[in-house]
Amino acid sequence: MRPGIRIAIDKIFTVVAGASVVCLCLVLAGVLGPMLWRGGSAVAFKGTVEFRKMQLVLFGRGDEDKIAAESRQAEIARAKIYSTIEKFKGGIDSEALIDKAKQIYRQFGNDLRQTDRTAEEVAELRSVTRQIRDRLESAFASSNAAEVNESLAYVLNFKDDPRFKNTSAAGLIGLAEQYSKDIHGINLAERQRYYQEIRQVEDILTELLGPAPGTATPALMMNRFGATRWDLAQKLLGQLCWYEEWIKQGPGQPMVKRLTPRSQRFAGTEIEGLFIYIQKNLPEMLKPKPTFYWQYFIDDSTPGHYFGGVGPEILGTLLLTILAMLFVVPFGVISAAYLVECASDNLVIRIIRMSINTLAGVPSIVFGLFGLAFFVLFFLPLFGAPSKGCILAASMTLAVLTLPVMIRASEEAIRAVPQTYKEASLALGASRFRTFVKVTLPAALPGILTGVILSLSRVAGETAPVLFTGAVALGPVPKSIFDPTRTLSYGSYDMAVGDKLAAMVPHNQFGMVVTLVLLILCLNTVAIILRSRMFKKLAGH
Amino acid sequence: MKENIRDKTAQNGETAQCACPIISSKDFNFYYGTTMGVKNITMNINPCSVTAIIGPSGCGKSTFLRSINRMNDLIPGVWTEGKLVVDGQDIYDKRVNLVNLRQQVGMVFQKPNPFPKSIFDNVAYGPRLQGITQRTALDEVIEQSLKASALWEEVKDNLRKSALALSGGQQQRLCIARALATRPRVLLMDEPCSALDPLATGKIEDLINQLKNDYTIVIVTHNMQQAARVSETTAFFCLGELIEYDLTSKIFENPSNKKTEDYITGRFG
Ligand SMILES: Nc1ncnc2c1ncn2[C@@H]1O[C@H](COP(=O)(O)OP(=O)(O)O)[C@@H](O)[C@H]1O
Ligand SMILES: [Mg+2]
Repeated sequence: MRPGIRIAIDKIFTVVAGASVVCLCLVLAGVLGPMLWRGGSAVAFKGTVEFRKMQLVLFGRGDEDKIAAESRQAEIARAKIYSTIEKFKGGIDSEALIDKAKQIYRQFGNDLRQTDRTAEEVAELRSVTRQIRDRLESAFASSNAAEVNESLAYVLNFKDDPRFKNTSAAGLIGLAEQYSKDIHGINLAERQRYYQEIRQVEDILTELLGPAPGTATPALMMNRFGATRWDLAQKLLGQLCWYEEWIKQGPGQPMVKRLTPRSQRFAGTEIEGLFIYIQKNLPEMLKPKPTFYWQYFIDDSTPGHYFGGVGPEILGTLLLTILAMLFVVPFGVISAAYLVECASDNLVIRIIRMSINTLAGVPSIVFGLFGLAFFVLFFLPLFGAPSKGCILAASMTLAVLTLPVMIRASEEAIRAVPQTYKEASLALGASRFRTFVKVTLPAALPGILTGVILSLSRVAGETAPVLFTGAVALGPVPKSIFDPTRTLSYGSYDMAVGDKLAAMVPHNQFGMVVTLVLLILCLNTVAIILRSRMFKKLAGH
Repeated sequence: MKENIRDKTAQNGETAQCACPIISSKDFNFYYGTTMGVKNITMNINPCSVTAIIGPSGCGKSTFLRSINRMNDLIPGVWTEGKLVVDGQDIYDKRVNLVNLRQQVGMVFQKPNPFPKSIFDNVAYGPRLQGITQRTALDEVIEQSLKASALWEEVKDNLRKSALALSGGQQQRLCIARALATRPRVLLMDEPCSALDPLATGKIEDLINQLKNDYTIVIVTHNMQQAARVSETTAFFCLGELIEYDLTSKIFENPSNKKTEDYITGRFG
């Protein structure tokens, strides 16, 4: 070949190799970048006053007085919303109004029995109030403005009636007065729709700002605080300001989504202006602040991943991984030692080797089912342990899963130890066992650690094997290895399939994934440092 | 006792054979499965002497040498015929204790092969196998062995250093020290200098000259001058057979076999 051509080919090869490395880096950045970015928002984000309240209540963190002052300010900004809605609702919640009327009527009846009026007087008062009540009810239920006004006018006739002065029945007239004020500007024909949509608005507001002042503390922890993160608040604000509806286009065609501004839905009422107000004043109401929530990695997530962090998940993943390693490393090394040092090359050994190789390619869900059938249902009860998924069963399943990797890596490592080392040891009178323990094993350790690194990454990230053998999505921190545990991998899987939650706390899903990646990275770094130490020691530096 | 034997050998003069040899083989055959390694080896090796084994490549020098401490046992399918007696014991007897044998018969390999451990741990490996764990006792053995292998002065200040940080010649002397630490009677050396430069080779040769006062040394070498320099008796192997075995001076100056003469003078090999 001419030198020119050779140089050219060399250059082309260099360029292609360089390009492929660059491609690889780009792909890595493309995959990891967004994940890190989104997962990072679990730790670094804009936290609202609700976040700080939650931290104070659930974890006892933060300055109580400061947070109280802050939430007082926020409440001042929020007050207008609640008063406006309250007023608006007064005019449209027919059922509540009718209930109130009925209650007042009943109360009045009771009061009458205790007065010293004659029977006729009582009977007459009763019939008059019943009429008032009935007219009120018809006014509340009707959407015909003329009818409503007529009924209200009838009721208001009794305003100055001395028989009702200072009695509970005056409440009925008060209701009529209030109602005639409240329905001013409301299109009565639309009342039903208003009623439903204002309920929606209230629900979204509860998610955004927390429970309205004056209402009872919600039973569920997740309803006790508003949006703790500014990005979630923004999303909820979108839901608040835009009414979403699905329109049928025709038979056989998919429905299309249509968004209309909610202010338009409430056009002409006092609610109309509310949305602009919220949009403008949301920062005052939530007081977003850049927050670095490093405790994400140690906090428990009190109500199912809604608040708090992934502490128990990290703990569970670490426990499972380390325990699995404790099982698999001795097993793998001893098996490899047998295969290399003792086994002759006969049919049985060849079948064993083939089985190991096949095992390495078996889908992990199969190991999960095996773990359920063998460890959970058979092995644990054998030793009197309860037959339920637990850390022990899960880690043993993971150990079995990664055993082929471990065996093959150790085999290679043991095989790679120079024969001369073994010869030297044997020539000094050492037995084969002693030679293995004192010479071969130490020299093979770096290679074995490579196997550990490979196994570690696999084990820490596996979901399917722990699915049936010891992982739970929610639950207490395990007290012993006979308890099930939460893990990062299973947690993110669970959130991915539990769509509502994932939509509410996207940071958590990505946060878990990124935490898992970081955890594996940390474990691997430790192993790699250990390995390079050993290499250095073996190489004599 | 040793002195006596030496005297006797000296009195006997020309002959390489002696009355009470430490290694003695009689019609010894060695087979790698079906292929023959060495055949019909009959030779006696005197205590406290240096015996060189020379011969063309593949003639079975290593095979014979490794038979003496049964290092060939590692290879599957090997078997032997005839007798090989070391220190009065037939080493291919079923009852023989391999551990004892190998501690009696130390070995130094072609390529220096110290363990990837510290100098101290390398030399201490053998004594520890023998159950010596006391620090003072170990220190003593190690100092003795390193002094015997002429390495002490070079490494005494950093015994904790990795053996792999030493030079090739130093590593080989360390391997000799390691072999000496089990207090063997015989030292087998399989081309111990072939991986070393001339300077290091010279040091090893000096060492062999010192060691022969206390140890029986059998050395395989490709280097004729080396054989002439260090050995008292020389065995010439060819095609798995022992062609000639005599005093070194006789082999090099006046060989009785034609093949030996051809090989010595470089006409084949
Ligand atoms: N492990 C082995 N298996 C089979 N044959 C071997 C083995 N080792 C050596 N041999 C054969 O035995 C003969 C002698 O080898 P060896 O003793 O190593 O020769 P050398 O004199 O060069 O040291 C050679 O023909 C070689 O092919
Ligand atoms: Mg050889």
